[in-house]
Amino acid sequence: MSLPPSSDLEAPALSPSRLVGGTTGLGETLAGTRSGASASSVRSFLADLLEEQQQLQTPVARFAASASAGPAPAMKSLYRDLIPLSRPGPGEQYAFEVDLDSCSGCKSCVAGCHSLNGLDDQETWRDVGLLLGSDTEHPFQQTVTSACHHCADPACLNGCPVLAYEKDPITGIVRHLDDQCMGCQYCVLKCPYDVPKYSERLGIVRKCDLCQSRLAVGEAPACVQACPTEAIRIVTVSVTTSHGRLTADTSHFLSPAPEPSVTFPTTRYVSSRPLPPGLRAADQGSHPPQPAHLPLVFMLVLTQVGVGLLAASCFSSGDTPEFRLKQTVIGGLVTLLAGLGASVAHLGQPLRAWRVFLNLRRSWLSREAVVFGLAVPPAVAYAGTRFLADGMGSRPLGQVTLMLGCLGVLCSAMIYIDTRRPSWSWLQTSWRFLGTLAVATLIPLAAPAAAAALALKLIGEVSLRPADPETQTGAGWRGRALHPALRRPWLLRSALGAAAVILLGFDQPVSGFALFLVGELAERRLFFQDAAPSKMPGVPRG
Amino acid sequence: MLPSLDNLIIARQGPMTTELVQRPGDFGLGRVPSRLAPSGTIRSICGFCSTGCSLLVHVDAGGQAINLTPDPHHPVNHGMACPKGWEALTPLAAPDRATTPLLRRSGTDALEPVTWERALEELVGRFRATLDRYGPASLAVLSTGQIVTEEMALLGALAKFGMGIKHLDSNTRQCMATSHVAYKQSFGFDAPPFTYADFEESDALIFIGANPCIAHPIMWQRVMRNARNPDIVVVDPRCTETAMAATLHVPLRPKSDLVFLYGLARALIARGAVKPDFVAAHTTGFPEFAAFVASFTPERVTAETGLSPEVMDRLAGIIAGRERVSFWWTMGVNQSHESTRTAQAIINLALMTGNIGRPGTGANSITGQCNAMGSRLFGNATSLLGGHDFADARHRQRVAEVLDLDAECIPTEKSLAYDEIIDGIERGEIRGLWVIATNTAHSWIHSGRFHELRANLDFLVVQDMYATTETAQLADLVLPAAGWGEKEGIFINSERRLGVTRKVSRAPGQALSDFSIFKLIAEAWGCGPLFARWKDPESAFHLLKALSRDQPCDFTGIRDYAHLEDAGGIQWPYTERHAREEGGRTFIPDAPPSRTSLQMGGAGGYEPPAARSERRLFADGRFFTDDHRAVFYFDPPRPMPEPPDEAYPFLLLTGRGSSAQWHTGSRTDKSAVLRKLAPRSLYVEVHPEDVARLQLQPGRSVVVRSRRGEVRAFVVETATVQRGQVFMPMHFDGVNRLTFPSFDPHSRQPSYKACSVTLAPVSG
Repeated sequence: MSLPPSSDLEAPALSPSRLVGGTTGLGETLAGTRSGASASSVRSFLADLLEEQQQLQTPVARFAASASAGPAPAMKSLYRDLIPLSRPGPGEQYAFEVDLDSCSGCKSCVAGCHSLNGLDDQETWRDVGLLLGSDTEHPFQQTVTSACHHCADPACLNGCPVLAYEKDPITGIVRHLDDQCMGCQYCVLKCPYDVPKYSERLGIVRKCDLCQSRLAVGEAPACVQACPTEAIRIVTVSVTTSHGRLTADTSHFLSPAPEPSVTFPTTRYVSSRPLPPGLRAADQGSHPPQPAHLPLVFMLVLTQVGVGLLAASCFSSGDTPEFRLKQTVIGGLVTLLAGLGASVAHLGQPLRAWRVFLNLRRSWLSREAVVFGLAVPPAVAYAGTRFLADGMGSRPLGQVTLMLGCLGVLCSAMIYIDTRRPSWSWLQTSWRFLGTLAVATLIPLAAPAAAAALALKLIGEVSLRPADPETQTGAGWRGRALHPALRRPWLLRSALGAAAVILLGFDQPVSGFALFLVGELAERRLFFQDAAPSKMPGVPRG
Repeated sequence: MLPSLDNLIIARQGPMTTELVQRPGDFGLGRVPSRLAPSGTIRSICGFCSTGCSLLVHVDAGGQAINLTPDPHHPVNHGMACPKGWEALTPLAAPDRATTPLLRRSGTDALEPVTWERALEELVGRFRATLDRYGPASLAVLSTGQIVTEEMALLGALAKFGMGIKHLDSNTRQCMATSHVAYKQSFGFDAPPFTYADFEESDALIFIGANPCIAHPIMWQRVMRNARNPDIVVVDPRCTETAMAATLHVPLRPKSDLVFLYGLARALIARGAVKPDFVAAHTTGFPEFAAFVASFTPERVTAETGLSPEVMDRLAGIIAGRERVSFWWTMGVNQSHESTRTAQAIINLALMTGNIGRPGTGANSITGQCNAMGSRLFGNATSLLGGHDFADARHRQRVAEVLDLDAECIPTEKSLAYDEIIDGIERGEIRGLWVIATNTAHSWIHSGRFHELRANLDFLVVQDMYATTETAQLADLVLPAAGWGEKEGIFINSERRLGVTRKVSRAPGQALSDFSIFKLIAEAWGCGPLFARWKDPESAFHLLKALSRDQPCDFTGIRDYAHLEDAGGIQWPYTERHAREEGGRTFIPDAPPSRTSLQMGGAGGYEPPAARSERRLFADGRFFTDDHRAVFYFDPPRPMPEPPDEAYPFLLLTGRGSSAQWHTGSRTDKSAVLRKLAPRSLYVEVHPEDVARLQLQPGRSVVVRSRRGEVRAFVVETATVQRGQVFMPMHFDGVNRLTFPSFDPHSRQPSYKACSVTLAPVSG
């Protein structure tokens, strides 16, 4: 070790900085001994350190823990008691069972699932939430963990137009077929528990498969392996067929969660003490605005307006000027086709959309696609007759178009009604969808009548607004509080609607139509954004 | 092979399906995602909290980490980790990592990339100019419990022995200073006596100001494995997750702990629960203590704590009636205006009832940060390296010998505490500050004052993984540091277990390990040769071993890192004699049986880990004081400094909000998974009656105001907080703009959990 010059040792005690001769700068190190060379010595030292920082030991160079562990899963002793010994028998299926007494709120299940399944950075298949009590004398809180409930009668499966869901006949696991999915996200809307998660990267949804490939070889699912307190286990539960659909006993389903009679979720939440009454989810009533789904906004409004215009052309009296009629017909056709085109923009995997007819038996989305698809040829032919044959044979074509178009609009409405979300009640949904259709029909025929219809629609949008799904309060005019972020869009929608009413009232069909169209787009955007999601309890949010 | 027609209609196979396919994992891992199949695994101790979980980092052929799973073969965590542990690799890949040194262009808001050479020149030039002009007391260092022991020791040595900086303290002042002082006074050395097996072997576990369910979930795992049908008591003003899981919740008034504990001592004496033989043989001061607590009558306790006499009675009955009683405390005790005496009041309970040194007993402080225990021994702040005393010439001589330096370099007194350093900045005495791996501007109590005092600093250096922390944003110079997983060294966990953390990932850009940065600064400062023996972390570890020799924390029996790794960590003391007795055999435990089979009695032949690899202190009743007796410390309780009043009618409690968040979130906020597990913005928990009275709306914003500042938070309505009290999580910036700066006089630890605030709705 280099020692400083002795004179410096006489400097005030405890001030080794004085040892360095009181000069500054990188070039000066231990006084006089290495000046000049030291800047470069620091530089080469730095280079060494930077290089060393990038060195990693390869697994070959070290054996570490690898050597100590055999091929069998080392965790087995910890989870052996947490999975069934045998596969489910007839009338049985696998299910999650969550022991609420053991769940301490650590949330490792979510992270363990994420890592062991190799999910994307943003992607989680398990969620946690918090239940809070309402009794002020006996404070209560309970963390709840949930993944896919592998329902007996899964809404995702029933709604999927391309049959991208399968329920395994033996294990009952509801499995998503990633290469089948076209990314329409209807399952996201259909699932009462907000389970399927859409991946922007892949353009499809993915979800929990109960780690079926782990269970198949006697390993526990990731969340079961990850729970420090053994609060999650896999059990077999019985399922029965009733009225042609599978059902399961839901008496052990979580009480402050969406109504289980829709899909018969199989997850059992067990506790040695009954949950107190009056529990609420910590995120109740504070949902952020939901995705606007702009392609769907355009699709719905444009198909409805398109069908309306075509209807108007069918109903036009004989003295309507030919150019007005042609204008209406071509406007209706272009609008309808644009609406159908917009729907494709909604899909994450549009090239897989050709399978859309596969679930005609159960999915309103399949039905909508097929009906609108069938409506296109007669609509084109109908327009053709108007332009090329002076309306020769247009009446039957118009009637077919009109029938299929209206049926399509009804299917559109059923898509949302069938999600059973309170915000999308049959009244609210059909009021809006058929209202758009009706006003669009009336504008070319009698603008002032359209003004009255639109005014009625605007009033209905507010007064028919459903109650808060969770608190069952605030229906209609008094309204459950609109999320602050949606107040301005709502004002805009109202202003556009009112302006359209005024213009139409003054018999200005063209400018009135333009404002009406923009107003309806604004209305439909709110239709999506304001729809409180149906989901399992979440963490508090503001 | 042509795709079958069936697969064309229903595509069960394909590239997207393949993405999630699993394969049998080697290395005992079970099935893993095929695309993340490892070439090997490396054991590494987690770098968040003090539990000290071992993680198996999955690495590719180049040694780069690609995934991790908790280590089934480790006595601490039995194959489990909390979400932070599972996500430990994610913060390393954050886009806002500091990749070069950044220098503030003078008088601007802009931090601009500069070379390391330039950064060193600035640091050395500016700090040396300050020292030359204002003397050694004009610079201060704020260190951390988040770096490895070798680094904090090197930092302490470099700053105090090499650069002549007088003042160094650490963020462990915010979490563990109280336990440190309490143990040092009561036991003669900072020695948490327990081992985690005590969680499993207790008949009664008394948690005071501790919420292990979310703060230490993997310790809670051990509580849940307890097959002795234990009483679990939680003493906490809030009905926390742990209180929910307890068999008895004691919801005392905030800051009435000391009255409560003294009242409990009195009740235990009255019940005849004192173990006179133990007290007589191994303690000092019990008669005085017994006389002192006589005035803490049930009436007084009820009046001051708000607890019913029945609750006190039941608790005293549990402690008196059960054979093995363990006491556990965390920040609810440590962060108080009279925290040291509160911790010692707990220690007193354990001493007087003879609940120490036996399985399932102890007065046990659960530590906070991954290396708070390392900092307590080797931070070189309050104690000289290795738990030595700056004031003791023999100690200075010993340290100088081990480190091969002149004993004259070693200061003769401890340096200022964190709060005193802040005061020094205010007085203009401290002109330069070097902050390492902590986030003062967010986490320090009454943080607004630190922001104001920034102007008093001529030069502020922040050494961190991210240039985006609130503190780094105030810096003149940011030094880019490698993080956990990008360097190696040892952590010491809550139960005194040393474990190795490994380098499994390349640091981004020109980020360097803190060890390398300190070495580089030593070289640039011109005192590099002083630290020639600190060649790399493992050589530094051998210096630390030598420093520990003959201290209560003696770990000279540990051979090297590989020994620690193979043994699943080793608890101090582990002397050369211990090593000889074990004959160099290392013990790798298998994963234990499940709790279910343990409690059903189905784990035949299973031997709890304590019997084989865990050790607790004081089994012989000999403490580390000169006369080997533990000492009863006590003082009359004092009222909290800022109680609620008419203008500020609510008492604000702060603390950990979720298991997914770590301190100021500089790392945990980088993980999308962790972000999902906690509320995304600051919230305030308010009792339903207060919500109704103030006409607040759950989920909507409210302004929380104290005499020092205000923040916006959304309201969470819950009766888990008491009337007149509100709770806010410490992880969000702004909370500490409210907190009141009061400090325990012995430990100088800030009292984060008591200040008065008012709530006002926000319109809009």
